[in-house]
Amino acid sequence: MKSYTDLPSDAGSNIIGQVTAQATRLQKRLASVKQTVAIMSGKGGVGKSSLTANLATALTVKGNTVGVVDADINGPTLAKMMGVRNATLEYTPAGVKPAMTALGTKLISMDLLLAEDDAPVLWNAHSQKDAFTWRSTMEVGALREFIADTEWGNLDYLLLDLPPGTDRLPNVVELIPNLGGIVVVTIPSEVSQLIVKKSVTMARDILKVPIIGVVENMAFYVCQHCGEEEPLFSADKTPHKAFQQTVLGSIPFDPKLARSNDNGTPYVDRYPDAPASQALMQVAEKIQDFFSDSPLIRGVGGLPS
Amino acid sequence: MKFLCTDCDTAMKFKDVTRPEQGSVTALFECPDCFTEIAMYLNPSETQMLKSLDLKLGGTNEAAQPMQLVRSQLETAKGESMSNLFSSETSSDETTEGGKCPFTGVISEAFQEDATPIEPEGPTWTAEALERLDRIPAFVRPMAKMGIESFAKDNGHDEITGEVMDAARGNFPAQF
Repeated sequence: MKSYTDLPSDAGSNIIGQVTAQATRLQKRLASVKQTVAIMSGKGGVGKSSLTANLATALTVKGNTVGVVDADINGPTLAKMMGVRNATLEYTPAGVKPAMTALGTKLISMDLLLAEDDAPVLWNAHSQKDAFTWRSTMEVGALREFIADTEWGNLDYLLLDLPPGTDRLPNVVELIPNLGGIVVVTIPSEVSQLIVKKSVTMARDILKVPIIGVVENMAFYVCQHCGEEEPLFSADKTPHKAFQQTVLGSIPFDPKLARSNDNGTPYVDRYPDAPASQALMQVAEKIQDFFSDSPLIRGVGGLPS
Repeated sequence: MKFLCTDCDTAMKFKDVTRPEQGSVTALFECPDCFTEIAMYLNPSETQMLKSLDLKLGGTNEAAQPMQLVRSQLETAKGESMSNLFSSETSSDETTEGGKCPFTGVISEAFQEDATPIEPEGPTWTAEALERLDRIPAFVRPMAKMGIESFAKDNGHDEITGEVMDAARGNFPAQF
């Protein structure tokens, strides 16, 4: 009797061919993207999405064509932060036209597909019982389509805003094996750094993804009365010691940043002279330098902040 | 997955697939030599996993449509019609102009499903009951509808009225 390997195909479904076709779609779309950058943390609540919205805006202001994928399928916030929640996606045979901000930054997000504000992402299934067995597979499929089926055009940068969890980056690397690099976001708290270290290890040692650097968000605040810098958290303010990675910048806390997110007006565009905006612009500049192979950043491996 | 006709020692070929019934798909395979057929049943979890991977039993020659997985499988998508919300078998792509979205057939085909919606089996709904159903938040409505229909079926009701909904209400956290 013939064995499994003796049989020539999978009886006609051509599963391998179908999976290859999905990968080809993705590769064709990414061929017009110069650099892909994942913004990640591992820890929730450190400001990844806020940072992504402002870095995308900063890179756009610097003359780049920028696209953003809100990879947080279940908690999408970028459409709100970037002021495009009312955008209507247009479907064509060539792909989906993304939402576009006033400055020209392109965005795709699950938020643009959901019917109502209070609607969670719920997938069609005969039963939601045992949905844990397939939900994450569906989410990776959705992310693949967000990247592959959006009409990005030619992009200098495609930023991916990852949800919390160290398990998210491997999914992205599966989809984009030549991911350009990652930006790791943390805050100066030991609790945050404990989790973020795991993400750094995952990226650096297991997935071998280039780490562009670490951004220390909410690093301090400036007293509105006396102008003194005060810490918000207790941990060491120089996370390069904790992570042994380049520090791209320390972003001061500014209540106006949260208000800008709520209003959908990117902070770096609304308050370009604010200290936090200047720090964000410098982070964007260092990302550009990383990809232009500047000796200032690449290869140094651990600049002090 | 491969199948062997042990009498002929020949690889069986995919022949046909049925649209999901109760979440389960049946695929038929045939021996090209003796024409013996076998049926393979996928349970609802296996069927769902296949959908989640956006893979089609029997393969496909159709080009993929933009975001076909998200658009066909997201229950709470923008522009989604009520009938599609309640169907676990058809796509979510009815246009607001009233006609069928041109992608509907392709998306349905992608899952080897009939592009023409068929009336679901089960109890009918009175106008009053449908009005009350509309008041349930959209994101829990499909599950609530399924639960009420299941309750009606289990309790021998051919028609879902306000009274039946009242009787079923104790089984659900949402008020209607």
